[in-house]
Amino acid sequence: MGPSRREFVKWLSAGGISVSLSHLASAAGVPFAAHETLPGRGNFNPATKGAGRVDGVAKVTGAKLYASDFRANDLPGWPQTTSHAILVRANDATHVYTGMDLARLKGALKPSVVVTADDLDRIGTQVPAFYAGDLFCPPGKTPLYLGQPVALLIFEKFDTFDQARLALRDGTFVQFGEETGPVVVPDYGAFRFTRVAGPKPEMPDVYSPLQAGWVSPKKVQSAALPVWSPLAKEMPPDYAKAAKYGEQIRAELAANDASTLVLEREFETQSVDPMFLEPECGLAWYNGKQGNKGGNLELLLGVQSPYEAADSIAHLFGKARAPYKPAHINAQFAHVGGGFGGRDHTPFILYVALAAVCFPGKPVRLAHDRYQQFQGGIKRHAINMRSRIGIDRATGKIKAFAADHVLDGGGLAHFSASVAVVAGTGAIGIYDIPKVDVRTVAVHSRGVSAGSMRGYGILQAMTALEVLIDEAASELKLDPIEFRRRNALPQNGRTMTGNPYIVSVRTPEILNKLEEHPIWQERAQFKQTSSDRLVGTGVACVTKDYGSGADGSLGRVELGPDGKIEIYCDHVEMGNGIGTALANRVASHLGAIADEVSVARVDSYDVLGLVTSGDPATMDQKTQDAAEKNPRWVPAISSPTSSSIGAHVGTHSAGEAARVIFRFGLWPAALELWHIPKTDPRAKQSAIASWQNGQLIMPGLEPLALPVLAATAHARGFVTGAVAHSFSRWAWSRARFPLFGEQYRADIDALAIRRGNGKFERINRVSVKFPPTVNNRIGTAYTSMCGSLVRVEIERATGALRIAKAYSVFECGTALVPEVVIGQAHGGFAMGVGYALLETLPPLEGGPGGGDWNLGRYLVARGSDLPLRDLEIEMLKPQTADEAPKGMAEVVMIPIVPALINAIHDATGHRFRALPVTASLLKGVLA
Amino acid sequence: MTTLSLTINGQKHGPVDVRDDLSMNDFLREMLGMTGTKFGCGAAQCLSCAIIVDAPDGTSTTSPTCVAPAVNFDGKSIRTVEGHAQGGQLSALQQAFINHFAFQCGYCTAGFLNEGQVLLERLARAPVPREALEQTIADALDGHLCRCTGYIKYHEAVRDVILADSNRYLIATK
Repeated sequence: MGPSRREFVKWLSAGGISVSLSHLASAAGVPFAAHETLPGRGNFNPATKGAGRVDGVAKVTGAKLYASDFRANDLPGWPQTTSHAILVRANDATHVYTGMDLARLKGALKPSVVVTADDLDRIGTQVPAFYAGDLFCPPGKTPLYLGQPVALLIFEKFDTFDQARLALRDGTFVQFGEETGPVVVPDYGAFRFTRVAGPKPEMPDVYSPLQAGWVSPKKVQSAALPVWSPLAKEMPPDYAKAAKYGEQIRAELAANDASTLVLEREFETQSVDPMFLEPECGLAWYNGKQGNKGGNLELLLGVQSPYEAADSIAHLFGKARAPYKPAHINAQFAHVGGGFGGRDHTPFILYVALAAVCFPGKPVRLAHDRYQQFQGGIKRHAINMRSRIGIDRATGKIKAFAADHVLDGGGLAHFSASVAVVAGTGAIGIYDIPKVDVRTVAVHSRGVSAGSMRGYGILQAMTALEVLIDEAASELKLDPIEFRRRNALPQNGRTMTGNPYIVSVRTPEILNKLEEHPIWQERAQFKQTSSDRLVGTGVACVTKDYGSGADGSLGRVELGPDGKIEIYCDHVEMGNGIGTALANRVASHLGAIADEVSVARVDSYDVLGLVTSGDPATMDQKTQDAAEKNPRWVPAISSPTSSSIGAHVGTHSAGEAARVIFRFGLWPAALELWHIPKTDPRAKQSAIASWQNGQLIMPGLEPLALPVLAATAHARGFVTGAVAHSFSRWAWSRARFPLFGEQYRADIDALAIRRGNGKFERINRVSVKFPPTVNNRIGTAYTSMCGSLVRVEIERATGALRIAKAYSVFECGTALVPEVVIGQAHGGFAMGVGYALLETLPPLEGGPGGGDWNLGRYLVARGSDLPLRDLEIEMLKPQTADEAPKGMAEVVMIPIVPALINAIHDATGHRFRALPVTASLLKGVLA
Repeated sequence: MTTLSLTINGQKHGPVDVRDDLSMNDFLREMLGMTGTKFGCGAAQCLSCAIIVDAPDGTSTTSPTCVAPAVNFDGKSIRTVEGHAQGGQLSALQQAFINHFAFQCGYCTAGFLNEGQVLLERLARAPVPREALEQTIADALDGHLCRCTGYIKYHEAVRDVILADSNRYLIATK
């Protein structure tokens, strides 16, 4: 039970609307024709020459790549003219919304269409459950949250739109009446995670979420926060049992035991904006028909979750009345100009679709400007965390930990419950703690909606924890790194949900690296203060999950007779280098970098005929066992590009497809060329063969070039293409397929192959083992570790902080594209610095929901805020040559945050317990 | 309305009538379809919208386009990201950005490319000592925001182009 980390997306069909997700076609008629390289059109692939990214040329030549680059006349078959829409949002959530001052848009500024809540009723839209709440606040109601939309204004001409948007910006266009106070809404989710370890590490736990399931207290509608007591009236029995253990842990921490150091501290983190550079944008065209027959709804979107976007739009119109109900929805997806989670399940796409359906026959573009992006974009949760830790003074071992988290979820539920779960189950970080009790609740507020964002609750929890750990080490007079080492979770230790990680746990190695680094070794020497500045050094070490616990992956690989490779993948390029990672992972099987890599391709897997049902995060084993009898059924088809799954999940199926091509295409071709009969023992030694410089090498045999092998495979009708699907629930699905007289086993659950130049044919699996549903009780089984050191210098007079030197060390298994991994580490560091020292948004009035926030007022890290020449990044080598890639894009932004707070304490003697620590706050404590 | 004529990447555009309050960013993106120049903030804070303005004296500067009216560019010669590659060949800086994996999502790349190119041209006219190079690059690029990369690879790419032709960009040291 409990929410999935990322909402489950069903295969697309709603209310009789057919849905397709097609490839973004080429831009036509663009006046600067050279160098276009749209997603999937790798006209020139620098990676084939061993340098750069597959999207490199497109990005340095200004090619149309992003959703915001496209207008209707760029798209084949669309009308030539683009209309423009404005999404009007409420800037008050404590007074009744009474309407808009449309009188100011008279004459030439008059919108062609105004869409309000009344129109939604007329159309018959239904809001997808994930976005539950009024799409538009109706007049007479108090807005649910600051920034809640009230209307769409659509303008046929750009000039009219452009002038109107300026006329609306003074904050008085949306009008309000009587004061009501904020709308009261029940919390989004409350959970308790309690674990009591057995008397010895090798013995079973006394109690754990893995054993007993995840528990929630009874909802109490009249209380702002949950009642956590196990003795409260009508409390569910499973909750009461967990709570009984939890209260015992808290009682032990509260006991006045002289042998135990107990610290109880509060830490508050702030709301921030993902601040991806491309504001959200979409383009749509509804070719609506008169009468009862709906038309086609065409969409061009830039999101991290393409399947979800199409599914939600289909749901939106599933019960719409004619002529507003499309007969067919076709969505195309562009690169995104930054995501960081903020484009995963974004409600923005619903308004893009609505704009088109309400202005039939006219392509409509809806694009946020930056003010609107601040006002309406998904934010990071502000979290209040109260933590208690008990440490045996004699051994320096942590005995118990308890915490209470309250997350401000803002106006829509979004992923708030899921973020609460991830923050809660990750609250003990890298540590091995036998008694843990974490209570967490995500609450509604009238602030802008919070949801998915890089770090996903762990950023906040690790910051509170690592600052607390630093203080504990200080109280115990233990070296901070030695204290961490003494308490680090060993490889086979259990996390707080009761399961061990199933991937490498390299905390000791990372702690050793931190300890040996000159920044740490020289900390006392640099701490000498001068009259004008203070110097301090901080350390932190964290762990961050990757994967959502229910991830689908699709991949298709084709090998031409000339040896050219094409790859298709459903994941989205948001700067994470997924296309280049795919090329490299496939190259490990096929010996060459792909000539074409198509990302955000969601139209290439029909041959698998996949179907799904149920929720993979909540279904029981019996349901899964019954469903899997259909050889085309999988628990989830596709996942958003999020949760740091690009390398691990996004490339998995393409890698497995390439493995099939090698095993049943190139290897038989090689045997023929080497004149090795099937009966020869060497025929079964494909694992010994290796690729070197595009040639297949086998000891004692002539090297064979890929084009020669590919030509032979095509000529002989061997496998030259494969499509694969796989599913991960903290382990990969595994199935058997009848191929060429043998039972081929692989970490996939659906497969199609192409022989020679033939068509793809589905190979039905003969057996499958999906990861058991009990794995849904796991918090995470996939994790990566990262540690940071930082030395800061703080001017006494001004509080200005300079990062003098920093070092981050992390592990990520096999780095598919090391340059991209290092780049992500640099970017994560910068985002962490901004979070720790600069970025903040007031949660309610005065915050972004008012519509008057922009850069300049909101500060993010610039080059001058960072140690550009003094940041050292170390990526640990994989433990084995074939270690799978691990997600790392989130963990690399986390430890610098607590390390900075710890360094500030080292420099100033003051422990800050809230973020961000700005120069003015520093000046205040130094006064 | 004002009549606007200008040169973009060596090609004459106009005369064309534009509203006096039409931004240069919208002129490029909406009227000409030149979407290589990005829109980021509309407040001249991120500079993803920056273009190059070439002065008659041979010097060049960058200018944000999101807050600048298009009519301010009447009679001027500008360069955008679409104009750096010549004859199908990438410029040295474009190639360096690719080789260094300087960008990730790439939305800020046009601005960094234009700023870096202006810096190269400025250094070609007025070289600096090697010891001043790091701060010179940092000062030049600091107005530009990038949310993905942490800036380091952008700086490395610009530095490498300069060091690869140090006689042109740096004052010779004894």
